[in-house]
Amino acid sequence: MASSAVQNDSDDGMDEFMDKFKTQRYKNAFTENNWEEEFNKVPMFMKSAPENLDPQKYPELACLQAMIHDEDRPPEEQAKSLKDEGNAFFKEKNYQKAVLSYTAGLKKKCGDEDLNTVLLTNRAAAHFHMGNMRSALNDAAAAKKIKPDHLKALIRGAQCYIGLRNFAEAIQWCDTGLRAHPTDKKLQELRAAADTHKRAAERDARKAKAKEKKLHGEKEALLAAIKDRGVKLLQSVKPRQQLGSDSEDEDEGSSAAMAQLSLDGLSSQEATGAQVFLDEQGSLRWPVLFLYPEHQQSDFISAFCENSCFTDHLLVMFGEELPPWDTDRKYHPQNLQLYFEDEEKETLYQVNPEMSLLKVLQFFVKAGTPSFILLVNDSLFWKQFLTGKKIQGL
Amino acid sequence: MLSDSEATELLSFLTPGTRPDVKAYATEYILGLSGHREGCRFLRSKPDLLVALFALTSDPSVAIVKDCYHIFINLSADETLHQVLVSDVKVLPVLLKKLLDPEYLFSDQICTILSNLTRHEKTCKTVFKVLQEEVGLAQLVEIFCTEGYNKMAKLHYLGPMLSNLTQLPEARNYMMDKDRCVVQRLLPFTQYQASAVRRGGVVGTLHNCCFDYAHHEWLLSDAVDILPFLLLPLAGPEELSEEENEGLPVDLQYLPEDKMREDDPDIRKMLLETLLLLTATKAGRQTLKEKNVYPIMREFHSWEKDAHVTAACEKLVQVLIGDEPEQGMENLMEVEIPEDVEEKLKKADTKEQQELEKEQEKRRQEEEEEKKSDAEQTNREQEKGQRE
Repeated sequence: MASSAVQNDSDDGMDEFMDKFKTQRYKNAFTENNWEEEFNKVPMFMKSAPENLDPQKYPELACLQAMIHDEDRPPEEQAKSLKDEGNAFFKEKNYQKAVLSYTAGLKKKCGDEDLNTVLLTNRAAAHFHMGNMRSALNDAAAAKKIKPDHLKALIRGAQCYIGLRNFAEAIQWCDTGLRAHPTDKKLQELRAAADTHKRAAERDARKAKAKEKKLHGEKEALLAAIKDRGVKLLQSVKPRQQLGSDSEDEDEGSSAAMAQLSLDGLSSQEATGAQVFLDEQGSLRWPVLFLYPEHQQSDFISAFCENSCFTDHLLVMFGEELPPWDTDRKYHPQNLQLYFEDEEKETLYQVNPEMSLLKVLQFFVKAGTPSFILLVNDSLFWKQFLTGKKIQGL
Repeated sequence: MLSDSEATELLSFLTPGTRPDVKAYATEYILGLSGHREGCRFLRSKPDLLVALFALTSDPSVAIVKDCYHIFINLSADETLHQVLVSDVKVLPVLLKKLLDPEYLFSDQICTILSNLTRHEKTCKTVFKVLQEEVGLAQLVEIFCTEGYNKMAKLHYLGPMLSNLTQLPEARNYMMDKDRCVVQRLLPFTQYQASAVRRGGVVGTLHNCCFDYAHHEWLLSDAVDILPFLLLPLAGPEELSEEENEGLPVDLQYLPEDKMREDDPDIRKMLLETLLLLTATKAGRQTLKEKNVYPIMREFHSWEKDAHVTAACEKLVQVLIGDEPEQGMENLMEVEIPEDVEEKLKKADTKEQQELEKEQEKRRQEEEEEKKSDAEQTNREQEKGQRE
């Protein structure tokens, strides 16, 4: 080149050094493939900080970090750097790391109250975004203690209380905030939201209470109706030993039986959850089982009105068509006899089909469902079944 | 009344340095004067007496201070004294500042005085001006709404004061500032059981605010949501159908069976009038119809015994179930009423009032008759008992 001919020889060998570039190829250049990776290693061009800093791989970064965390610097500076570090992590949504940085900054216990307030408020924000409402609230409250008017702390605190569904406190915090910042939109918005939620929650509580009351009232009425008729409810499990006063146990047994009524009304697997209820005319309707031991069959009547008599039902069930399991074709209504069994007393009571259910229920009801055994009069099975059993009329 | 020389002598007894018993006598005497009109008018002519008395509100003796405040309460009840009190004695800045003190013993007396001074428009304007300079309406509302702000004073009379202030459009505008949260703070107090004065004051304030129909939409919106707070005191424990319940504002759904209605008929009437004001615009009418206000009014109507309140209720119901007014008349507040129609309406109003009075009289007489006949019956029974 023309210039080199004009250049003088200098002492420091600069000229020779510069001359080299004309002849040698540039080594260690970035290639198409690795230039992004390489750029990412340079602190200035890093897109994100590496997870664990390997001083070998990232010597410059390690150096910078050492500078930042140098213990010799005054605590305020260190705290501020940690705050910035935390903010950087926060921006990347790395809330865990952000919390760590802020915590380290607070640990410095530097005297700068403004800085500490910001560290607390920022940490509160990080916790909030991780869903740690309680921690966030603690930090916001701590910030509020240092600076009672700090807007960000008050907003964050209110948000936390809303998240924790403590709407009354949320409103309190908003009101405190609005005292110092009366025109802040965010506070007004939060206050309105908390107020709306609070009133909705109150309504829900009232609704639940009203429903519970209604159910309770209905249950009471039902129990009273059953008691009035002198019907004794028994649980399906063997009754416990009767100790002490009769009436007390009777009530207990009654309410326990009532509780059982709501759990499982039936002993048969055919029907599901049917229960005695009081109809609009004030009559009780019972779920009733008809058992046909001869053929191992049963029928379930879901709402037998206490005032109906058995004949009514038998005519409907057996009057026109006989059931398919009645292979002998003998279960005509006029041939049927009804019994119910008192297992404890080992007695069969014969029921007159013309009687109403109400009259028969004066005895007891097992598992909330009266069950009756039906046999065909004078049949072979009838003879066999009744042999050796105590029989009584009603 | 006192002669000039006697007045001068009295003045000399009102200095802080005077013997306490003499001071007490003097203030007691003036308290007596302030209790009737001539005394008040006399005192009006002696501003220096009043200035001295006002200075004595800082006296170390609690009894003297109490008497002094009493005097000013009496004086402020007379409108002709307002000018003197505000301009010569300059009570306002001192009183307003003292209100801020959460430990001041006589804040309730101050509230009563201020409530009196704001009753009539002229002085009210002055009070508002000084208020904005010294304390600010927002802070006053804040103090009013903070439970237990002052341990020694209830501050209930700030309610009527706020109500009086809102007769001024400038106060209403401040109260309903969309960029702040002022009127919203007052709403829960429509149900404040412990004080009818406070409740009445709040309802009065809301009533005045509703005169500005430009603000109706905002008042009825979620930002303020004034409707439930007006309806709750009028709603009762009666069970409504599931359908009616679901359409109501949240606060009115599933009310418990021990829910009581507002006790004071005047406050009930004011609430109904406020609701009626909200029906002035088409949007307002629509909102009230949508939010199932009618069933609440229906139950209320069956419950209400006072003829005046029932009349107000019926007016509201008329609007709720009536047809929409024809085109051009949708905003009831802007409708131009021709003179002769206005005359007729005025006459009809007066007639209605008279009829209501007659009805109430009749009812009262009927009650008297019943009581009398009951008493007679009891007497007769007693006689019978004695004979047997």
